[in-house]
Amino acid sequence: MAGKVEIKQARVLSNARLKDRVFLLKLQGEFSAAPGQFYMLRAWDRDPLLSRPFSVLDRTKEGISFLYVVRGRGTELISLLSPGDTVALTGPLGNGWPRHEGRIALIGGGIGIAPLYYAAKTLRDTDVYLGFADVPFLVDKFARVARVRVSFETGEEGTSGQVTAMFRPDGYDVCYACGPQSMLIVINRICRHAGVPLFVSLEGRMACGVGACLGCAVKTTHGYARVCRDGPVFPSSEVVWYG
Amino acid sequence: MVDMGIVVGGLWLKNPVIAASGTFGFGAEYAEIYDPARLGAVCTKGLTLRPRQGNPPPRLWETACGLLNSIGLQNPGIAAFIREELPRMKEQGITVIANVWGDVPSEYEQAVARLSDSSVDAIELNVSCPNVSRGVPLGEDARRTAQVVRLARRACDRPLWVKLPPEGGVAVARAAQEEGADAVSAVNTFRGTAIDIETGRPVFANVVAGLSGPAIKPIALRIVYELVSVLRIPVVGIGGIGNRQDALEFIMAGAHAVQVGTANFVDPLSAVQIVAGLEDFMNEKGIENWEVIRGSAQR
Repeated sequence: MAGKVEIKQARVLSNARLKDRVFLLKLQGEFSAAPGQFYMLRAWDRDPLLSRPFSVLDRTKEGISFLYVVRGRGTELISLLSPGDTVALTGPLGNGWPRHEGRIALIGGGIGIAPLYYAAKTLRDTDVYLGFADVPFLVDKFARVARVRVSFETGEEGTSGQVTAMFRPDGYDVCYACGPQSMLIVINRICRHAGVPLFVSLEGRMACGVGACLGCAVKTTHGYARVCRDGPVFPSSEVVWYG
Repeated sequence: MVDMGIVVGGLWLKNPVIAASGTFGFGAEYAEIYDPARLGAVCTKGLTLRPRQGNPPPRLWETACGLLNSIGLQNPGIAAFIREELPRMKEQGITVIANVWGDVPSEYEQAVARLSDSSVDAIELNVSCPNVSRGVPLGEDARRTAQVVRLARRACDRPLWVKLPPEGGVAVARAAQEEGADAVSAVNTFRGTAIDIETGRPVFANVVAGLSGPAIKPIALRIVYELVSVLRIPVVGIGGIGNRQDALEFIMAGAHAVQVGTANFVDPLSAVQIVAGLEDFMNEKGIENWEVIRGSAQR
């Protein structure tokens, strides 16, 4: 089970550019995150005002890592960090992936592969479907802990196309997915038709990250839920996809 | 030994630092990080008679040194609050200030009556939510504010505070005072807006959202300063308070207490660190109680 919420400073071990605006940040220290949880990170004083939510990619004995894409000023400042710099973290936050037995498919699109790795590492009988727009990243890392299939839309080798075309739900007991809304909508439809339970990890603009501000609302079948606290993982049957 | 305690509009607080409404839920979330009973009080999320689902997303937009929000008073309703949240808060030793909204004056009256039968320690009338009103906001209209405070006062046996909007001016604050408010909290968020340049449309469905954070602090401080100079009842300062320097500025402007809001999002420990910072300041300066420095800027 996940540990208590902590606020701490951690030292940057590495902060490598994987492609274009995609980075892998490794921080040193002991962390208690469970697969699918996230931390609020900041590496500045009061500007930008808010911390930024980062899904846990992996947790090891030496520390914790985050996969992220530079989207705005916050992530840009994070991307400029060098080994030895410090980052302030609050977490672990959110519910994380549920624990399941059986055959499990993990489906990730682009930066949405981030919360899947730690799950792939801890689950046993797992197939991972990774979809990329162009240049894939971290495929070798996934391949060391699970069976991996990769698609990239503009690629020349391997399967060309979308992850939604490659994925078949047959034979799975449960599926976990994270990626763009358009991808999740299709995966949701595929799993629903096949009668396979699907859990999705969602993102949202957050202020507090702990469930107090009600800013990261997502519409569910029982009203607005908080991505940060009720999620980020939701049964896809409870998410109101169009609305 | 310094005395951090303060009586504000009929309510004794162990220290003058209060978690602002809408930024602290019902205290449960931050209780995982520190004991909310270390704060002077917690103002609840804005409560309404009936449950309210709030505004559609997006609800947040970060600005330079500020935050626009359009939450829209999502809350479980007063009955569920009294049943499910309040007993836990009281058990934890939290001084509870129930923040209350009504769409019409009679709703305020009924809401306050319900809360007066509960164990809340005080009631803060929210006449200033920028995210649910249509037309001229209630809290910018002295006559309508007076009516609401009058009805609430009659229904209320607890300390009654009125949370003012920044644009209401002295007239609204005076109206609250004349109708029997025990204190005013100033100020709620400023009405602001943001536009998505990709779509050319407003970010928020309501167009208008509430601006908070360090960006509003100097303006909020000026308003508090002005209110203190004209009111007999205490003023509780709110607006971009994020550290002890900010809190002391409001106290020296004349505020009896301060509320910490958006800063909770910036650093979850902000409010409790301000408590510690104020205590350090009193010890460093040899200040025995708040009267020594409160309103020093007014003299």
